[in-house]
Amino acid sequence: MKNYPIWKTFIVLTLVCLGIIFAIPSFVYKEDSNNWFFENKVNLGLDLQGGSHILLEVQSDVLIKEEIENFIDNIRLIARDNQSKINDIIANENTLNIKFDDASKIEDIRTDFLQNYNNINVLINNNVLKIKITDNYIKEIQDSAIKQSLEIVRKRIDESGTKEPLIQRSGKNRILLQLPGIKDPERIKELLGKTAKLTFHMVDDENISSLKANLAPFGKMIVSDFYDPDVKYLVEKKSSVGGENLVDAKASFDPEEGHAVSFRFDTTGAQKFGKATSENIGKRFAVILDGVVITAPVIRSAITGGNGIISGNFNSQESSDLAVLLRAGALPAPLLIVEERSVGPGLGADSIQAGKIAAIIGMIIVSIFMILIYGVFGVIANISLIANIFIIISLLGTIGATLTLPGIAGIVLTIGMAVDANVLIFERIKEENHKKNKIFEIVKKGFDRAFSTILDANITTLIAALLLFVFGSGPIKGFSITLSLGVIASMFTALMLTNFLVYLYLTLTSKKEINL
Amino acid sequence: MFGLNKIIPTNSNYNFLILRRNFLILSIVFIIFSIFLIFFKGLNFGIDFKGGTLIEIHTHDNVSIGELRNILSPNFNDLSLQEFGDKNTIIIRLQNINNQESIETINIVKNLINEKVIEFRRSEFVGPTISSELLWKGFQAVSFSLLAILIYIWLRFEWQFGFGAVVALTHDVIFTLGILAIFNVEFSLSTIAAILTIAGYSINDTVVIFDRVRENLRKYKKMELVDLFNFSINNTLSRTIMTSLTTLLALFSLFIFGGEVIKPFALTMIVGVFIGTYSSVFIAVPTLLIFKFRPQDDD
Repeated sequence: MKNYPIWKTFIVLTLVCLGIIFAIPSFVYKEDSNNWFFENKVNLGLDLQGGSHILLEVQSDVLIKEEIENFIDNIRLIARDNQSKINDIIANENTLNIKFDDASKIEDIRTDFLQNYNNINVLINNNVLKIKITDNYIKEIQDSAIKQSLEIVRKRIDESGTKEPLIQRSGKNRILLQLPGIKDPERIKELLGKTAKLTFHMVDDENISSLKANLAPFGKMIVSDFYDPDVKYLVEKKSSVGGENLVDAKASFDPEEGHAVSFRFDTTGAQKFGKATSENIGKRFAVILDGVVITAPVIRSAITGGNGIISGNFNSQESSDLAVLLRAGALPAPLLIVEERSVGPGLGADSIQAGKIAAIIGMIIVSIFMILIYGVFGVIANISLIANIFIIISLLGTIGATLTLPGIAGIVLTIGMAVDANVLIFERIKEENHKKNKIFEIVKKGFDRAFSTILDANITTLIAALLLFVFGSGPIKGFSITLSLGVIASMFTALMLTNFLVYLYLTLTSKKEINL
Repeated sequence: MFGLNKIIPTNSNYNFLILRRNFLILSIVFIIFSIFLIFFKGLNFGIDFKGGTLIEIHTHDNVSIGELRNILSPNFNDLSLQEFGDKNTIIIRLQNINNQESIETINIVKNLINEKVIEFRRSEFVGPTISSELLWKGFQAVSFSLLAILIYIWLRFEWQFGFGAVVALTHDVIFTLGILAIFNVEFSLSTIAAILTIAGYSINDTVVIFDRVRENLRKYKKMELVDLFNFSINNTLSRTIMTSLTTLLALFSLFIFGGEVIKPFALTMIVGVFIGTYSSVFIAVPTLLIFKFRPQDDD
């Protein structure tokens, strides 16, 4: 073609071929292919392949409350050592006011307290000690809580056997989970909903009056039974040993006790447990999980080997879930599910099917319409349209974007809007066609004049799509991606491919005039 | 071919702008009405923006909505059941009082109706903190889009064009919201996507006409502004109609064949294409007239 530079032909054809080639993996279905080429397959979003999207929030204010509690205990101990009497304690969200009977020892108490903690403001106002947790301290607590939580959530999800989960931090105190293909989201949520803080505490069966008054003396606490909340135990506040010393936990079955969880302590844990049990033979110890007593057996003999079993009234699922939780470790703070979207495989498959049909029918109707209006030029626009779809799909696959249901809507919409650039060009050619010009000049003018319009019109659409990407979430992001890729691909196909095909057509048919 | 291309006008010479005052009044009345409606009747927020739980189920053939309602209503306060596409696909919506309830809620519902159900197709829970965040983000997305488009048009054209475009876009957004409020269409995340796409489509349309106005302003320096604007609209009329038609064809295909989940989105878009096309001609261009706009010569 003498009117069309070879380099341009080369670029157009290369890009279109690449578009078609890299779209192949998405059309040819191949499960779990390790071939690099087939890895360019379009990823399906959770709404299309089925799965759960779960957003968790780390309840770090619980930790701050706990920290305040620790302060109180600490101050009480120091005050006792200094023989100073506490008159009143007022705890707020992140401040603590402790009023002493007299101010004589208050300076010493402050110094002692600050030896245990830093990064905390402790002020003295007459006989009142004012402790304030700084924002930095809170941030530290939150940061470490979310880091630990991430790790434990990851362990729990891995243990549950979910394939290819995505687990990542989201914002200041949230964790985002994407779990493709899971069948029972309820079970996963139950695994995540438990803190799984396991501790062993000695039970005080002698001080019955405190238990009756529901008022724990200093150093003790009252805990209810898991199976019957009316049953209460008075236990040592300080645990003898905790879940952090566990090295292994397994679901087991004992003919007498039923389903149980057997566990093993590390050396430190075994020592602590051995000491506690040997000193307290005949007494009871309580196994406390997340603030409730699961079981409280009597110690018959010292347990020194570091092995033990926990038997409650478990069924087999419960005992194996508890084992998973104990192996993964306790969460530093409770996690709250703030958002969940689960799609079953049936709906996902239906959505894909419906999306495909809508896209194909939309394409056929638009193509027929274009041919009816523009004849041969309509055919050219349709070739560009098909190339456009291939390019969108190959781009989606190669950049690793995720195709969602709104994403499919974006593609169908693109089919309608992609022909717009072609229409702009053809209408321009029509206008130029009325003048007595040479045929290639008409075509060139048509494309040149339409160029800036196409550019401006599409960039504004891209702006809207970009902001949708920034502010949108999940599936909506998928929509903005396909829409953006569609707009970009349609600019290319209209300005380059349509351009090339028009020149090719006019050259091959050696027409003298344009019928548009 | 087949005379069909006659439906696309060529060399048309309609006097669109003679009607501009009537349409302007019509639009202003409807916009005020829409704002009233949005504030007093409110939009029909889905769980994305209201928070709550949604469960889609596929039931056995002989199960009726009434039956399910009877099972569930003793346990939940704010309960609604609705057929979704066909008789056996039902959407259950529940309102959560707080976040904590979610895990329990879905579980309780599942246990209660398990026997009646072939498949639990999806379940969604959105907590109150998330729903208000999503609403705020949606609002930001729409506002920033309008602002960014204003700036872009301003840079590429003159500020009056940018102003006209944004007036038209704001018109489109409020108009669409008004229609959604009238027909009580559920307002969800995908509605925000639809509104922004409408904005993108409408600005596309407006820019094409503005582009022609700019070109004609340079070409025909003596022409009366109203005539020149009319002329520009007519120049681009065939393109406006063609693109609206192809987009509508694709959208109707999406609406009819794309499945239940996507229907509200497709419907909102279809409405939006009409509004966007209308506003480009009857709002954006007349706004330019307010300024008695004729730029300084630059070429």
